[in-house]
Amino acid sequence: MKAQTVLVSAALGVGLGTLLLPAAALAETTVSPSTTPVGGTVVLTARGCNPKAGDALFRVTGPNRDQNVRSTTAAAGGGLSAELFTAGFTLGTYTVTATCGDGSAAGTATFTVTPIGGAPAGGGGGDGAGGLLAAGGALAGAAALGATVLVRRRRRAATVA
Amino acid sequence: MAWLTRTRGAVAAVTVAGTAGISLVVAGLTATPGRPPQPGADAQGGGRTGSPGPVLPRSAPLRIDIPAIDVHAELVPVAGDPHGTLEVPPLDRPTVAGWYRPGVSPGEAGNAVVVGHVDTRDGPAVFFDLGRLRPGDTVRITRADGRVVTFAVDGVGAYPKWNFPTALVYGPGGPGASLRLVTCGGRFDERSRDYSHNIVVRASAVP
Repeated sequence: MKAQTVLVSAALGVGLGTLLLPAAALAETTVSPSTTPVGGTVVLTARGCNPKAGDALFRVTGPNRDQNVRSTTAAAGGGLSAELFTAGFTLGTYTVTATCGDGSAAGTATFTVTPIGGAPAGGGGGDGAGGLLAAGGALAGAAALGATVLVRRRRRAATVA
Repeated sequence: MAWLTRTRGAVAAVTVAGTAGISLVVAGLTATPGRPPQPGADAQGGGRTGSPGPVLPRSAPLRIDIPAIDVHAELVPVAGDPHGTLEVPPLDRPTVAGWYRPGVSPGEAGNAVVVGHVDTRDGPAVFFDLGRLRPGDTVRITRADGRVVTFAVDGVGAYPKWNFPTALVYGPGGPGASLRLVTCGGRFDERSRDYSHNIVVRASAVP
């Protein structure tokens, strides 16, 4: 009975390990921040790479790009990092695939290059009512002035008569 | 006799001008408010608890319908301009909204972005009433593959343009299909001919 329990536990452990391993490997490469306006800088980090094995290589692929970026610094939390300047990048989502200095795969991550700032989505239509009020006021004012002139003329004519 | 004719003509002109002037003033006073509605405090919303809608493959959106604010508009693809800012549909087509093509399509996993003008110099445009939307309101997107994706509004917010919430709008989002509707809001600066804020509507696909 004990042997059976041990076997089942071992089988479960191996199964879970197999399931979780790819996820852990994927998590070894990160991009921070994962969303940047075009022209911003992102930091690529391969956590699983040993700096003693040589530079890590980050392959960046996306809408108009397929370039390699070499790591430049040791990451604070372990692994290797590189900065990537996104000036000139086409808007969209990019994939980063990292390879350690010893040739081992270090996982993938994605980041998104977005437009800068907000959306210029207005033309200022509030002038409409203001324009109507101004034009109406001017016309009504002219009419009042005309009416005053007419009344005065009529009074003068009546006095002369 | 000539004097009488001239006087009658002048009286008629004054009457016409007066009537037209008063009519214009009344029209101006009763016209649609010049400034677009802003989202209220109750529109911020929180996390949605309902079951998510299906995640679909990519397909370009063709049409957007928002019954709560009577929006029924064609969608055209937009991207970024050479300066890196978000492209919007041309001002001479104020009834059309733009789908941000570099992002995901509505129904795919991630945030699909749709942008539309709030107004033009001539008056309200397609997303003038976006700030009126409330959590739970429905947005329907018709795609080129014939499917119609229904989204429920999660919340509406106003954000200063100098601090645009890039990650909230374009970010990867969750595993489900989400939608972001963007237009202008806040104060209109006559000198720069631009609004101070962007109105952002967050919505999630529903079954």
